[in-house]
Amino acid sequence: MFDIDVLLPDFLSILDAVPVTLAMALTIFIFSTLVGGLFALIEYRKIPVLRELVVAYKIAFKGIPMVVMIFLAYYGLPPALHFIASLFGVSYNAHSLPNWTIVIVALTACVAAFQAEVIKGALNSFDTGQSDAAHSLGYKNSQLFRRVMFPQVIIAAIPDLANSFMVIMKALSLAFAIEVVDIFAQAQLTAALNYYYLEAFLVAVVFYMVIAYVVTKIADKLEARLRIRT
Amino acid sequence: MELSSMIPELLSALPLTLAIMFVALVAGFVLAIMATVLRVRRIPVLSQLADLYVSYARSVPVVLQLFVAFYGLPVVVGLFGMKDFITPTLASMVGLSLYHGGYLSEVIRPAYLAVERGQHDAADSLGYTFRQKITRIAGPQALHIGLPGYGNAVIYMIHNVALVMYIGAADVMATAHLIMERSYNQYQFGTYLVLGVIYSMLCLISWLIIRFFELRFARYHSKTAPAKIKLTASI
Repeated sequence: MFDIDVLLPDFLSILDAVPVTLAMALTIFIFSTLVGGLFALIEYRKIPVLRELVVAYKIAFKGIPMVVMIFLAYYGLPPALHFIASLFGVSYNAHSLPNWTIVIVALTACVAAFQAEVIKGALNSFDTGQSDAAHSLGYKNSQLFRRVMFPQVIIAAIPDLANSFMVIMKALSLAFAIEVVDIFAQAQLTAALNYYYLEAFLVAVVFYMVIAYVVTKIADKLEARLRIRT
Repeated sequence: MELSSMIPELLSALPLTLAIMFVALVAGFVLAIMATVLRVRRIPVLSQLADLYVSYARSVPVVLQLFVAFYGLPVVVGLFGMKDFITPTLASMVGLSLYHGGYLSEVIRPAYLAVERGQHDAADSLGYTFRQKITRIAGPQALHIGLPGYGNAVIYMIHNVALVMYIGAADVMATAHLIMERSYNQYQFGTYLVLGVIYSMLCLISWLIIRFFELRFARYHSKTAPAKIKLTASI
């Protein structure tokens, strides 16, 4: 019923998918942090119309499950791109878009809503006395952001950002629905070859737990090293 | 695509989805309380096991947890010498309960620890037992601190119920796939859009319910405790 012998081959087979998964997760992480940061800045600066749009965006993307979002992107993105391309008179066959780009776009859009929240929290933790001090020293807004605010805010956000990275890793497991192979999908494919389902899935569980452990440890180390002691 | 025929058909699968969700919410809550008590009281081996369980529930994707439950439960049942009676619905209930319990434990524990140290000390010095301390002093305050986190957990539960289709439970998503296949996959985008609206509505309703309780428990608000605990996403 439970075969120990298949664990090693399964392990090696699933290991193949780890670099791809990490690379996709990192890409999504970078893009979603940039977009989320933009959203957070809009809310922090209270820019009139854009702010309401950001709130609406966040509500929409938090209410709809990510599976549904991935499917919506899968069926909606190519026609939309096709339409935009035809508006500019470019002939482009958007249906040849590889699936992994669709996953990256869909998950970036979803995770950006969470990242906006994380970065907004970090921005709100920033002590406004420091910005007053910087202004009184004659710093420009851009200088204030680059030299005073950013270094502190990014450190305050490290634990949450590490958590977001794990959320992305886990969300990539939904990509198997549109045939993008990550750790989970690889486990499924491996199991489909030798019919030892439970074994393959348990190996995948170990992979995810180890990755989560390593990510948390790295984040802790990074935070401890970078935090300015006051 | 006729919305008037599609929506009733989708909603006809809603009771099963809600039943799975309800069982998982209740069982998950019990599991979360047990795991939290074990982790807070630091009992040698049991606490480490509870830690391991919580990190399993939090770091493994929910789809994978569902598959582990689906393929693992028959093995567990077999160990007890029983006949395999695990259906996809039962497996998804168990899988989601385990997931929800672990996630919720990480909401309840910070809420419990956020209750000011002095309150714990005062209760201890007055000779309250652990149970009395929980029910009369730490509990109500932790409830107030933890409610937003609980609301978050319920919303992710709604999101994750959409995944039980993959182990073969006939929920709303599975019904949507049936509908799409019947119309030769012409209206996938529209169908998923309707699904999105249905799930958003569920989230909205549960959010309103939690919000109602949040306002009711506002009287337990403590000025010294941190007003908010972190809300984290979970898939």
